[in-house]
Amino acid sequence: MNLRTRKLAELDRVIHEPGRLMIVALLSAVEQADFLYLQHETEMNKGTLSSHLSKLEDAGYIEVTKTYRGKIPQTLLRLTAEGRQAFQQYRRRMKEAL
Amino acid sequence: MERGPGMQEHEEVTAMDQVERMMQRPKLYNNIDGVGELGMGFMLLCFALLQWISNLSPAGSVWHRYGSFVWFMVMFAVIHYGSKAIKKHITYPRTGFVEYRRQKTRGWLAFTLGGVTAVAIWGLALVVRSHSELSGSHWGITTPAALVGLVFVVFYAYWIARPVRWKWAVVAALAICSVAIAMLPADVVGAVAGSTSAAATLDERSSGASLLTFAFYGAILLLSGGISFVLYLRHTQPASETAE
Repeated sequence: MNLRTRKLAELDRVIHEPGRLMIVALLSAVEQADFLYLQHETEMNKGTLSSHLSKLEDAGYIEVTKTYRGKIPQTLLRLTAEGRQAFQQYRRRMKEAL
Repeated sequence: MERGPGMQEHEEVTAMDQVERMMQRPKLYNNIDGVGELGMGFMLLCFALLQWISNLSPAGSVWHRYGSFVWFMVMFAVIHYGSKAIKKHITYPRTGFVEYRRQKTRGWLAFTLGGVTAVAIWGLALVVRSHSELSGSHWGITTPAALVGLVFVVFYAYWIARPVRWKWAVVAALAICSVAIAMLPADVVGAVAGSTSAAATLDERSSGASLLTFAFYGAILLLSGGISFVLYLRHTQPASETAE
């Protein structure tokens, strides 16, 4: 196994999936955003987006807060310190591997 | 067809480019509804109107004392609360809410850049005033105003027009506007500031040049922001209230 392949094998699989990578990249640039914003930017349907968010939440990479905007339910999402660190590490490893 | 290592590497490079682009999208989202430009255009038009009123009013009038202060307060309140209201009632229900990260370094960078620009403009004005051959020359007044305008155009092109193709027409309009103001005859520029003589004074010409720059830039930005806002409303719908 050469160095490049080894670096690629070390990549965080939770983040490496394209859908989750988009979500994490978007959240890394903001303090927090809501579900609707992520849906608008990623163009995923609600089910797919929810599934990815659950996986990221299980990994401890995002924090989900359920709240209300007036009478309308709102789901706020924020990258945790652990998630931010994992994403930075992912980008570093990816750049090293390429 | 079997994928070679070169092709896989190319795909990963493209994916990383997309990640970098994705990270830029929240910044661009801030002006998705044109509110940033509407605010900027409104502010510049207010500057132009205030300058015009100040030029026309007598020396001891309210506009030369606390009138300007009240004007600025009202203007900033309209921009601040107006933008907030549009975001809250139109943008967030349609395309979502974003809270940006507060970066101390970015604040300092903007502050430093603003300071350096202000000092450069002030220095330029001093140079023009201290050299009689420059202050006597019409180009000595209108060229600095055009240069300041062109610096603004560069910032606009980088922060706002870069991802939206039709906004490059706005960049061109702003740049042409700067050059056109620089080429206007001295008596026309002076007349804008209220001068009635053909040989307008230095202050009248500099006031006229900045008034014209504010007015045209404000109008162009207001129009561009308005078009963005209409397009945004046309292409988006309020989200349904189903479970997330």
